[in-house]
Amino acid sequence: MTRILAIETSCDETGAAVIEDGRRILSNVVASQVELHAPYGGIFPEIASRAHVEAIVPVIEQAMREAHLTYDDLDGVAVTYGPGLAGSLLVGVNAAKGLALGSGRPLLGVNHLEAHIYAHWLETAESAPRTASGAELEFPLLALLVSGGHTELILMRGHGQYEYLGGTLDDAAGEAFDKVGRLLGLPYPGGPAIQRASEGGRPTAFRFPRAWLGESYDFSFSGLKTAVLREVQKYSDPPQGQVLADLAASFQAAVVDVLATKTARAAEEFGVREVLLCGGVSANRALREVTTERAAVPVRYLPPFLCTDNGAMVGACAYHHFQAGDRAGWDLDVVPGLRLAGRGRKGR
Amino acid sequence: MAPILDPHTLEFVSRNPTQTHRLGVRLGALLPGGAVVCLEGPLGAGKTRFAQGIGRGWGAEQTLISPTFVLVREYDRAEDDVRLYHVDLYRISGAEEAFGLGLDDFLGDERAVCLIEWAERARSLIPPEHLWVRLAFADGDPLRRIINFTAQGERHAALLRRFRREAFGV
Repeated sequence: MTRILAIETSCDETGAAVIEDGRRILSNVVASQVELHAPYGGIFPEIASRAHVEAIVPVIEQAMREAHLTYDDLDGVAVTYGPGLAGSLLVGVNAAKGLALGSGRPLLGVNHLEAHIYAHWLETAESAPRTASGAELEFPLLALLVSGGHTELILMRGHGQYEYLGGTLDDAAGEAFDKVGRLLGLPYPGGPAIQRASEGGRPTAFRFPRAWLGESYDFSFSGLKTAVLREVQKYSDPPQGQVLADLAASFQAAVVDVLATKTARAAEEFGVREVLLCGGVSANRALREVTTERAAVPVRYLPPFLCTDNGAMVGACAYHHFQAGDRAGWDLDVVPGLRLAGRGRKGR
Repeated sequence: MAPILDPHTLEFVSRNPTQTHRLGVRLGALLPGGAVVCLEGPLGAGKTRFAQGIGRGWGAEQTLISPTFVLVREYDRAEDDVRLYHVDLYRISGAEEAFGLGLDDFLGDERAVCLIEWAERARSLIPPEHLWVRLAFADGDPLRRIINFTAQGERHAALLRRFRREAFGV
């Protein structure tokens, strides 16, 4: 049995988890900073680093307590080293180094993007029977990774084998939700706020543009943001009631339309067995429904607590690296612009 | 002084995002190491679009994407070891935070070209010598943008003169 303590501080959530064999969640503690950043409509880096410093020790202690383990029971200490905010990443990396050094356990460095994909290997209350019966995920897989900082389509042919099919050319999907949320006078974060506001709205009320970008698997949401802005500027007051619901629903439909269509097309072209929706934006209901509808293969999505940033996914990912013999050195440094893979043959 | 007569400023009306991008390409091709270009303008004004043009003209190996999430994105080009830093200061409020980003390591460095979005939010961090680009919506046409360039310091004024000559022939 392999038990890994995993730490995640890449953005605005302080997370720590203990994961057994890469799939069983013994504990998973997340201290969210959403409320701290809400007044600003986005994450303020200095506030984020300071909040991580305050939260990191209690969060790790709670994760160990809930797992009923001592540091002697661990096989390794894993941490996200990128991509993310430099100041935030540093807090987690330094905490992990201290714990690994103090407990004499190996240090494992994890790519945040890869961790989001590995969240799918975790057992949850709903998925436990499936994995327990041996119904494993089958390669090749297609991952759509959508969050505040990322929008990427990644082909995964095996553990640790990634091919980048496409990604955003300007704003990330989650960033588009945040910025449009701000234009509509909605609270931060924009994703859940827009989903709520869109209830009762007509997705076809406004004809917002879709950037198809030909045959590529790239995305662009900047023009869509500007189109919403132009519509909002027609009103003297911030939109409310049915107009607000229609704007939110139409914007959401435009984002989901492009994400789901390209994902379904890539799934077919590369003959994948399953599609994995990952990242904070994958908690969006419309995205789940439409992707499931359009893809010819099963589409898997996660409970909300595994969509947003958390330590459990880092532990799941770290397990596979641990098995492969990967170990980080004591000179492990943060890499804010870390990527998962280079562009594949479909790249531009 | 009217903008047209002032050698340190230039004003131009862009018809659409494609033209804004093309202007960026022209400017990017001229940027020497040590150049600091500040981009000011509201959401949707075309800052990122213009920055992407600059990246293309400068020769960045990848397309510039929004730096909002990580605050700073770095780009290389094949021909030399100058680096392009694309910075978003929207959520930076003071010098202490900027220090955490390592801003002072590359701002004004001879082997760095800096593109700074939302520079007006942290004016105290901007070196005295720079090219300030202001993008504003124009009345009447949703695609049209008024782009105003102002140079500070002789080096950036020379850059602006060259840009004026090569992009507009005047």
